[in-house]
Amino acid sequence: MGGNAEGTGAVVNARIYVLEVPENEGFLKVASQDPNVTIDKVGPYFRITADDDLVIDRRATGCRHAVWYSAIAGLEDSFIVQQDKDALRVSAR
Amino acid sequence: MTEKKVHRVRGVDHIAYPTFDPVGTVRFYRDVLKFPIVHSICAAGWGPEKHPDFIHFFFDIGNDDRIAFFYYFGLKPFGDQSAPGDSWARLDSDTPQFFVNSRHLAIHVDDEEDLLEYRSRLDESEWPVEMQVMHETIESIYTHDPNGYMIEITRALRPVTAQEDHDAALTIDALCDVAAGEDPSMDKLLTRKAELIVERAAAWEETQKELVQS
Amino acid sequence: MTKRIGLIVPSSNVTVETELPRILARSDGAEFTFHSSRMRMHSVTPEQLRAMNAQRERCVLEIGDAGVDVLLYACLVAIMATGLGEHRNVELSVAEQLATGGSDTKVLSSAGALITALNDMGAKRVALVMPYMKPLAQQVVAYVEAEGLEVADWRALEVADNADVACIPGDHVMTAARSLDLTDVDALVISCCVQMPSLDLVQAAEDELGIPVLSAATAGAYSILRSLDLPVNIAGAGSLLRTDAPVPVG
Repeated sequence: MGGNAEGTGAVVNARIYVLEVPENEGFLKVASQDPNVTIDKVGPYFRITADDDLVIDRRATGCRHAVWYSAIAGLEDSFIVQQDKDALRVSAR
Repeated sequence: MTEKKVHRVRGVDHIAYPTFDPVGTVRFYRDVLKFPIVHSICAAGWGPEKHPDFIHFFFDIGNDDRIAFFYYFGLKPFGDQSAPGDSWARLDSDTPQFFVNSRHLAIHVDDEEDLLEYRSRLDESEWPVEMQVMHETIESIYTHDPNGYMIEITRALRPVTAQEDHDAALTIDALCDVAAGEDPSMDKLLTRKAELIVERAAAWEETQKELVQS
Repeated sequence: MTKRIGLIVPSSNVTVETELPRILARSDGAEFTFHSSRMRMHSVTPEQLRAMNAQRERCVLEIGDAGVDVLLYACLVAIMATGLGEHRNVELSVAEQLATGGSDTKVLSSAGALITALNDMGAKRVALVMPYMKPLAQQVVAYVEAEGLEVADWRALEVADNADVACIPGDHVMTAARSLDLTDVDALVISCCVQMPSLDLVQAAEDELGIPVLSAATAGAYSILRSLDLPVNIAGAGSLLRTDAPVPVG
């Protein structure tokens, strides 16, 4: 995991929450491999913060359809630019 | 005297539908799916309107839950039979399929072996499985019965976890907030949910600690 | 006000349609009309009783068309010979058949009415006079005892043909009643049968024997009045039917 250990709440950071369940492991793994991404825990959720936009390649996660489209549990000052069979892209609002 | 629980209902007594095709209905549920017939009432139609005599019959769907049908003697189907829908209702011809399918009964099985057994019973009949889908945490097969009612048979891939129950409660609270406001959207819901996630994280940690201690 | 009473009777039964109207005609509370549906039966044998019970659904459908306020399923031994506590099952099934169709007809049975009447009277020890053959009579005794009552003594007149039961002379019934050991008996059921005539005997027996006397018919009338929330105050047919009679002051 790279970046700041604590989220600074800077306006350019995309930030999402993903529930800790077995099906989301592939998603988390891909996110954690990105040096621009910080991951920490808030209750039973992973908080994923990107330095800029958050980009996740779907095929790399190995997620099936239903899991992919319901992976995001929360958006913090961010919005989904793209979520399709290829990738997820989240930008700061 | 022991105190009674707050939540004390005991599942489905029965879900009831009308049918215009009792023979097809019996063949589908009793003969293909092999759901036993567990009750029937030969009911006297009564009252000021011309209420027909009817038979009300019940199939067991497991757990003592039942699916029941009304067959009204002399009653003809309502509405345009070529429109989307089923024996209970016909919808506008341009109703999207996802909406037509949204109302359905899903029946639970324990494991993959049972799911595949019902799959094969349906596939060998005039009502083969139309779709088999792996959802997030369940796997389901779907077909329509002779009345056009969609039936799903489903198995859980794994038990539901505590964090999913927590997440479900959060989703509902966020939904109620967002749906009460203007122009509800998924974007607004997920944003509100993030606020609740942060708000309730400490409470979650507390309950986890209590579980460990007990 | 007029109340419609539906009756489901064995086809050879003539007594229910004779005695019930006569009893209820003496009621001040309402006027009654009677409408019946028949289940085919000639001999009171287990086989014929089973065959008769199979016709129940048709009869309920027919009587349902008449929009009756109360339905009395008037074959006592058919219920009692089926199994202990059977009146509850029958009343429930008939009610379900009618209610599912939207009717709010009250459903009673002669067997249930007899038990209810005895319980309402506070009777614990009873005596019975029946027209049945002994095996059937024993089943009736067992049925009544399963309801928590003690049958102190009983007589079975052993008349198998239902048409003959309708003609049993009153003095045969009274002779049987007099021969009972009524020590500590709370109530005498002078006709534990809806075909054996007894209406003229009920008051006379009560006066002679000095204990409350009822019949399946008077119990049926009692239940009908109770189900319609009408006062139970009918003269000359035993103390059960004067339950709501005003007590003289002074």
